[in-house]
Amino acid sequence: MRLKTSDLVFLGLAIAGAFACWQQGGWPLVRAGLAEAAGLLLLVAPQLAAGLLMGGLIARLVSHDRVAALLGSRSRIRGLLLAAAAGAITPGGPFTSFPIVHALWVAGADAGALIAYLTAWSLIGLNRMIVWELPFLGVEFTLVRVLVSLPLPILAGLLARVLVRSPLLAMNKAPAE
Amino acid sequence: MIAAVIVIWAIVAALAVAVNRREGVNGLQAAGRTALQTGRALMIRLPLALLAASFLMQVLPVAALVPLIGPQSGLTGILLASLVGGLMPGGPMTSFPLALVVLEGGAGVPQITALITGWSVFAIHRVLAYEAPIMGWRFVGLRLACSVILPVVAGLGAEALVILMP
Repeated sequence: MRLKTSDLVFLGLAIAGAFACWQQGGWPLVRAGLAEAAGLLLLVAPQLAAGLLMGGLIARLVSHDRVAALLGSRSRIRGLLLAAAAGAITPGGPFTSFPIVHALWVAGADAGALIAYLTAWSLIGLNRMIVWELPFLGVEFTLVRVLVSLPLPILAGLLARVLVRSPLLAMNKAPAE
Repeated sequence: MIAAVIVIWAIVAALAVAVNRREGVNGLQAAGRTALQTGRALMIRLPLALLAASFLMQVLPVAALVPLIGPQSGLTGILLASLVGGLMPGGPMTSFPLALVVLEGGAGVPQITALITGWSVFAIHRVLAYEAPIMGWRFVGLRLACSVILPVVAGLGAEALVILMP
Protein backbone atom coordinates (compact mmCIF):
# COMPACT_ATOMS: atom_id res chain seq x y z
CA MET A 1 0.00 0.00 0.00
CA ARG A 2 1.40 3.36 -0.97
CA LEU A 3 0.30 6.85 -0.09
CA LYS A 4 -1.34 8.85 -2.87
CA THR A 5 -1.66 12.61 -3.14
CA SER A 6 -5.15 12.73 -1.68
CA ASP A 7 -4.03 10.56 1.25
CA LEU A 8 -1.45 13.24 1.97
CA VAL A 9 -4.15 15.94 1.65
CA PHE A 10 -6.19 14.16 4.30
CA LEU A 11 -3.14 13.64 6.48
CA GLY A 12 -2.42 17.37 6.21
CA LEU A 13 -6.06 18.26 6.97
CA ALA A 14 -6.09 15.92 9.96
CA ILE A 15 -2.90 17.45 11.36
CA ALA A 16 -4.13 21.02 10.74
CA GLY A 17 -7.50 20.14 12.30
CA ALA A 18 -5.86 18.58 15.34
CA PHE A 19 -3.66 21.66 15.73
CA ALA A 20 -6.69 24.00 15.49
CA CYS A 21 -8.50 21.90 18.13
CA TRP A 22 -5.49 22.03 20.42
CA GLN A 23 -5.22 25.81 20.06
CA GLN A 24 -8.92 26.43 20.72
CA GLY A 25 -9.63 23.93 23.44
CA GLY A 26 -6.40 22.19 24.38
CA TRP A 27 -6.15 18.42 24.75
CA PRO A 28 -9.81 17.82 25.73
CA LEU A 29 -10.97 19.10 22.30
CA VAL A 30 -8.32 17.02 20.49
CA ARG A 31 -9.51 13.99 22.46
CA ALA A 32 -13.14 14.78 21.52
CA GLY A 33 -12.14 14.83 17.83
CA LEU A 34 -10.27 11.54 18.17
CA ALA A 35 -13.18 9.90 19.97
CA GLU A 36 -15.61 11.06 17.27
CA ALA A 37 -13.37 9.72 14.49
CA ALA A 38 -13.07 6.35 16.23
CA GLY A 39 -16.84 6.21 16.75
CA LEU A 40 -17.50 7.03 13.09
CA LEU A 41 -15.04 4.37 11.92
CA LEU A 42 -16.78 1.74 14.06
CA LEU A 43 -20.14 2.90 12.67
CA VAL A 44 -18.99 2.88 9.05
CA ALA A 45 -16.84 -0.27 8.94
CA PRO A 46 -19.62 -2.92 8.97
CA GLN A 47 -21.59 -1.01 6.32
CA LEU A 48 -18.51 -0.49 4.17
CA ALA A 49 -17.75 -4.22 4.23
CA ALA A 50 -21.36 -4.94 3.28
CA GLY A 51 -21.26 -2.40 0.44
CA LEU A 52 -18.07 -3.83 -1.04
CA LEU A 53 -19.50 -7.35 -0.89
CA MET A 54 -22.73 -6.11 -2.47
CA GLY A 55 -20.80 -4.59 -5.36
CA GLY A 56 -18.83 -7.80 -5.88
CA LEU A 57 -21.93 -10.01 -5.74
CA ILE A 58 -23.96 -7.77 -8.07
CA ALA A 59 -21.11 -7.94 -10.59
CA ARG A 60 -21.54 -11.77 -10.63
CA LEU A 61 -25.32 -11.61 -10.99
CA VAL A 62 -25.98 -9.04 -13.70
CA SER A 63 -25.19 -9.80 -17.30
CA HIS A 64 -23.36 -7.17 -19.34
CA ASP A 65 -25.91 -7.24 -22.16
CA ARG A 66 -28.86 -6.72 -19.86
CA VAL A 67 -27.33 -3.79 -17.97
CA ALA A 68 -26.13 -2.23 -21.22
CA ALA A 69 -29.66 -2.50 -22.66
CA LEU A 70 -31.35 -1.14 -19.51
CA LEU A 71 -28.81 1.52 -18.49
CA GLY A 72 -26.49 1.95 -21.48
CA SER A 73 -26.03 5.06 -23.61
CA ARG A 74 -28.99 4.08 -25.81
CA SER A 75 -31.38 3.52 -22.90
CA ARG A 76 -32.95 6.98 -23.37
CA ILE A 77 -34.90 8.61 -20.54
CA ARG A 78 -36.18 5.26 -19.28
CA GLY A 79 -32.64 4.26 -18.37
CA LEU A 80 -32.20 7.49 -16.41
CA LEU A 81 -35.53 7.03 -14.58
CA LEU A 82 -34.65 3.45 -13.72
CA ALA A 83 -31.17 4.45 -12.49
CA ALA A 84 -32.63 7.30 -10.40
CA ALA A 85 -35.23 4.99 -8.83
CA ALA A 86 -32.52 2.45 -7.99
CA GLY A 87 -30.38 5.20 -6.47
CA ALA A 88 -33.24 6.48 -4.33
CA ILE A 89 -33.83 3.06 -2.73
CA THR A 90 -30.16 2.07 -2.28
CA PRO A 91 -29.61 1.79 1.47
CA GLY A 92 -26.46 2.89 3.26
CA GLY A 93 -23.85 5.57 2.73
CA PRO A 94 -21.13 6.11 0.13
CA PHE A 95 -19.56 2.90 1.34
CA THR A 96 -22.44 0.96 -0.26
CA SER A 97 -23.36 3.17 -3.22
CA PHE A 98 -19.92 3.61 -4.81
CA PRO A 99 -19.08 -0.10 -4.99
CA ILE A 100 -22.50 -0.59 -6.63
CA VAL A 101 -21.87 2.25 -9.10
CA HIS A 102 -18.52 0.71 -9.93
CA ALA A 103 -20.14 -2.67 -10.57
CA LEU A 104 -22.79 -1.08 -12.83
CA TRP A 105 -20.10 0.82 -14.74
CA VAL A 106 -18.15 -2.38 -15.41
CA ALA A 107 -21.42 -4.07 -16.40
CA GLY A 108 -22.17 -1.53 -19.14
CA ALA A 109 -24.16 1.39 -17.68
CA ASP A 110 -23.33 4.75 -19.30
CA ALA A 111 -22.26 8.02 -17.66
CA GLY A 112 -25.80 9.43 -17.71
CA ALA A 113 -27.26 6.47 -15.82
CA LEU A 114 -24.38 6.35 -13.30
CA ILE A 115 -24.72 10.06 -12.56
CA ALA A 116 -28.53 9.88 -12.36
CA TYR A 117 -28.11 7.00 -9.90
CA LEU A 118 -25.58 8.84 -7.70
CA THR A 119 -27.51 12.12 -7.78
CA ALA A 120 -30.74 10.38 -6.78
CA TRP A 121 -28.98 8.43 -4.05
CA SER A 122 -27.40 11.58 -2.61
CA LEU A 123 -30.43 13.89 -2.98
CA ILE A 124 -33.57 11.80 -2.53
CA GLY A 125 -32.21 8.61 -0.94
CA LEU A 126 -35.00 7.16 1.19
CA ASN A 127 -32.60 5.71 3.72
CA ARG A 128 -30.97 9.02 4.59
CA MET A 129 -34.30 10.81 4.55
CA ILE A 130 -35.86 8.43 7.09
CA VAL A 131 -32.83 8.01 9.34
CA TRP A 132 -31.51 11.58 9.37
CA GLU A 133 -33.54 14.29 7.66
CA LEU A 134 -37.06 13.67 9.01
CA PRO A 135 -35.95 13.39 12.66
CA PHE A 136 -33.67 16.43 12.47
CA LEU A 137 -35.40 18.87 10.13
CA GLY A 138 -39.05 17.82 10.26
CA VAL A 139 -41.74 16.83 7.75
CA GLU A 140 -42.40 20.27 6.29
CA PHE A 141 -38.81 21.10 5.38
CA THR A 142 -38.12 17.59 4.10
CA LEU A 143 -41.20 17.72 1.87
CA VAL A 144 -40.18 21.02 0.27
CA ARG A 145 -36.61 19.89 -0.28
CA VAL A 146 -37.54 16.50 -1.74
CA LEU A 147 -40.22 17.95 -4.05
CA VAL A 148 -37.81 20.41 -5.65
CA SER A 149 -35.10 17.72 -5.84
CA LEU A 150 -37.19 15.05 -7.64
CA PRO A 151 -36.33 16.18 -11.21
CA LEU A 152 -32.65 16.89 -10.49
CA PRO A 153 -31.24 13.33 -11.00
CA ILE A 154 -32.81 13.21 -14.49
CA LEU A 155 -31.49 16.71 -15.24
CA ALA A 156 -27.96 15.68 -14.16
CA GLY A 157 -28.18 12.45 -16.19
CA LEU A 158 -29.28 14.29 -19.34
CA LEU A 159 -26.48 16.85 -18.85
CA ALA A 160 -23.99 14.00 -18.42
CA ARG A 161 -25.05 12.42 -21.73
CA VAL A 162 -24.42 15.76 -23.48
CA LEU A 163 -21.22 16.74 -21.67
CA VAL A 164 -19.60 13.31 -21.94
CA ARG A 165 -19.30 13.87 -25.70
CA SER A 166 -16.93 16.80 -25.21
CA PRO A 167 -13.28 15.65 -25.28
CA LEU A 168 -12.55 17.53 -22.04
CA LEU A 169 -15.08 15.54 -20.01
CA ALA A 170 -15.05 12.20 -21.85
CA MET A 171 -15.09 9.16 -19.56
CA ASN A 172 -12.42 6.52 -19.39
CA LYS A 173 -13.41 3.10 -20.67
CA ALA A 174 -14.89 0.90 -17.96
CA PRO A 175 -12.30 -1.42 -16.41
CA ALA A 176 -12.59 -5.01 -17.60
CA GLU A 177 -14.24 -7.54 -15.28
CA MET B 1 -28.91 3.03 12.43
CA ILE B 2 -28.95 -0.57 13.68
CA ALA B 3 -31.97 -1.27 11.45
CA ALA B 4 -30.08 0.08 8.43
CA VAL B 5 -27.12 -2.24 9.11
CA ILE B 6 -29.43 -5.24 9.46
CA VAL B 7 -31.22 -4.42 6.18
CA ILE B 8 -27.93 -3.98 4.33
CA TRP B 9 -26.49 -7.28 5.57
CA ALA B 10 -29.76 -9.05 4.78
CA ILE B 11 -29.40 -7.82 1.19
CA VAL B 12 -25.79 -9.07 1.12
CA ALA B 13 -26.95 -12.48 2.37
CA ALA B 14 -29.73 -12.66 -0.25
CA LEU B 15 -27.31 -11.74 -3.04
CA ALA B 16 -24.80 -14.31 -1.77
CA VAL B 17 -27.46 -17.03 -1.85
CA ALA B 18 -28.36 -16.06 -5.42
CA VAL B 19 -24.71 -16.11 -6.55
CA ASN B 20 -24.10 -19.42 -4.78
CA ARG B 21 -27.10 -20.98 -6.49
CA ARG B 22 -25.93 -19.85 -9.90
CA GLU B 23 -22.15 -20.20 -9.73
CA GLY B 24 -21.37 -22.06 -6.51
CA VAL B 25 -18.39 -21.32 -4.28
CA ASN B 26 -16.29 -20.12 -7.22
CA GLY B 27 -18.70 -17.25 -7.82
CA LEU B 28 -18.61 -16.28 -4.15
CA GLN B 29 -14.81 -16.28 -4.17
CA ALA B 30 -14.72 -14.12 -7.29
CA ALA B 31 -17.16 -11.66 -5.68
CA GLY B 32 -14.97 -11.53 -2.57
CA ARG B 33 -11.89 -10.80 -4.67
CA THR B 34 -13.70 -7.94 -6.46
CA ALA B 35 -14.78 -6.53 -3.10
CA LEU B 36 -11.23 -6.63 -1.72
CA GLN B 37 -9.83 -5.01 -4.84
CA THR B 38 -12.33 -2.13 -4.70
CA GLY B 39 -11.81 -1.77 -0.95
CA ARG B 40 -8.02 -1.64 -1.02
CA ALA B 41 -8.08 1.95 -2.25
CA LEU B 42 -9.94 2.97 0.93
CA MET B 43 -7.84 1.32 3.60
CA ILE B 44 -5.53 4.28 4.32
CA ARG B 45 -7.82 6.98 3.00
CA LEU B 46 -10.88 6.34 5.09
CA PRO B 47 -9.36 6.53 8.60
CA LEU B 48 -7.48 9.70 7.63
CA ALA B 49 -10.62 11.24 6.11
CA LEU B 50 -12.71 10.52 9.21
CA LEU B 51 -9.98 11.94 11.42
CA ALA B 52 -9.74 15.14 9.37
CA ALA B 53 -13.53 15.65 9.33
CA SER B 54 -13.89 15.02 13.06
CA PHE B 55 -11.18 17.53 14.00
CA LEU B 56 -12.46 20.18 11.60
CA MET B 57 -16.05 19.84 12.81
CA GLN B 58 -14.88 20.70 16.35
CA VAL B 59 -13.48 24.09 15.30
CA LEU B 60 -15.38 25.40 12.23
CA PRO B 61 -17.59 28.40 13.13
CA VAL B 62 -20.72 27.27 11.30
CA ALA B 63 -23.18 29.29 13.40
CA ALA B 64 -21.45 32.50 12.26
CA LEU B 65 -22.91 31.79 8.84
CA VAL B 66 -26.56 32.20 9.82
CA PRO B 67 -26.94 35.99 9.31
CA LEU B 68 -25.60 35.64 5.75
CA ILE B 69 -28.15 33.05 4.62
CA GLY B 70 -31.41 34.38 6.09
CA PRO B 71 -34.78 34.09 4.30
CA GLN B 72 -34.27 37.53 2.71
CA SER B 73 -30.81 36.75 1.34
CA GLY B 74 -32.21 35.52 -1.99
CA LEU B 75 -29.92 34.29 -4.75
CA THR B 76 -26.74 35.49 -3.03
CA GLY B 77 -27.64 33.49 0.06
CA ILE B 78 -28.48 30.45 -2.07
CA LEU B 79 -25.12 30.63 -3.88
CA LEU B 80 -23.21 31.05 -0.63
CA ALA B 81 -25.11 28.22 1.05
CA SER B 82 -24.45 25.91 -1.94
CA LEU B 83 -20.73 26.60 -1.69
CA VAL B 84 -20.57 26.12 2.07
CA GLY B 85 -22.60 22.92 1.78
CA GLY B 86 -20.15 21.53 -0.77
CA LEU B 87 -17.18 22.20 1.49
CA MET B 88 -18.78 20.84 4.68
CA PRO B 89 -16.84 17.77 5.79
CA GLY B 90 -18.41 14.64 7.21
CA GLY B 91 -21.43 12.42 6.65
CA PRO B 92 -25.10 12.85 7.60
CA MET B 93 -24.26 12.26 11.26
CA THR B 94 -22.43 15.59 11.32
CA SER B 95 -24.24 17.59 8.62
CA PHE B 96 -27.88 17.17 9.69
CA PRO B 97 -27.27 18.25 13.28
CA LEU B 98 -25.46 21.27 11.79
CA ALA B 99 -28.31 22.01 9.37
CA LEU B 100 -30.63 21.99 12.37
CA VAL B 101 -28.44 24.53 14.19
CA VAL B 102 -28.43 26.79 11.14
CA LEU B 103 -32.19 26.43 10.52
CA GLU B 104 -33.09 27.14 14.15
CA GLY B 105 -30.64 30.04 14.10
CA GLY B 106 -32.85 31.72 11.49
CA ALA B 107 -31.56 30.77 8.04
CA GLY B 108 -34.11 30.60 5.19
CA VAL B 109 -35.68 27.37 3.92
CA PRO B 110 -34.47 27.93 0.30
CA GLN B 111 -30.96 28.60 1.58
CA ILE B 112 -30.89 25.46 3.76
CA THR B 113 -32.24 23.50 0.80
CA ALA B 114 -29.32 24.80 -1.28
CA LEU B 115 -26.92 23.98 1.58
CA ILE B 116 -28.10 20.38 1.87
CA THR B 117 -28.18 19.97 -1.92
CA GLY B 118 -24.65 21.38 -2.21
CA TRP B 119 -23.47 19.10 0.56
CA SER B 120 -25.26 16.12 -1.07
CA VAL B 121 -23.95 16.50 -4.62
CA PHE B 122 -20.50 18.09 -4.17
CA ALA B 123 -19.47 16.52 -0.86
CA ILE B 124 -15.79 17.21 -1.39
CA HIS B 125 -15.05 14.91 1.49
CA ARG B 126 -16.95 11.99 -0.07
CA VAL B 127 -15.30 12.67 -3.44
CA LEU B 128 -11.81 12.41 -1.97
CA ALA B 129 -12.56 9.53 0.39
CA TYR B 130 -14.68 7.25 -1.84
CA GLU B 131 -15.47 8.50 -5.34
CA ALA B 132 -12.01 9.35 -6.69
CA PRO B 133 -10.33 6.14 -5.46
CA ILE B 134 -13.15 3.91 -6.76
CA MET B 135 -14.31 5.67 -9.95
CA GLY B 136 -11.31 7.81 -10.99
CA TRP B 137 -10.95 11.57 -11.47
CA ARG B 138 -12.42 11.71 -15.00
CA PHE B 139 -15.76 10.44 -13.69
CA VAL B 140 -15.58 12.85 -10.75
CA GLY B 141 -14.95 15.76 -13.15
CA LEU B 142 -17.91 14.85 -15.35
CA ARG B 143 -20.26 14.37 -12.40
CA LEU B 144 -19.26 17.67 -10.77
CA ALA B 145 -19.73 19.51 -14.08
CA CYS B 146 -23.26 18.10 -14.31
CA SER B 147 -24.01 18.97 -10.67
CA VAL B 148 -22.81 22.58 -10.47
CA ILE B 149 -26.27 24.06 -11.14
CA LEU B 150 -28.27 21.61 -9.00
CA PRO B 151 -28.04 23.39 -5.60
CA VAL B 152 -29.03 26.70 -7.17
CA VAL B 153 -31.95 25.09 -9.04
CA ALA B 154 -33.08 23.42 -5.80
CA GLY B 155 -32.75 26.66 -3.82
CA LEU B 156 -34.73 28.70 -6.36
CA GLY B 157 -37.31 25.91 -6.61
CA ALA B 158 -37.74 25.91 -2.84
CA GLU B 159 -38.11 29.69 -2.87
CA ALA B 160 -40.92 29.44 -5.44
CA LEU B 161 -42.56 26.62 -3.49
CA VAL B 162 -42.42 28.51 -0.19
CA ILE B 163 -44.08 31.53 -1.82
CA LEU B 164 -46.79 29.35 -3.41
CA MET B 165 -47.79 27.59 -0.20
CA PRO B 166 -46.89 29.64 2.85
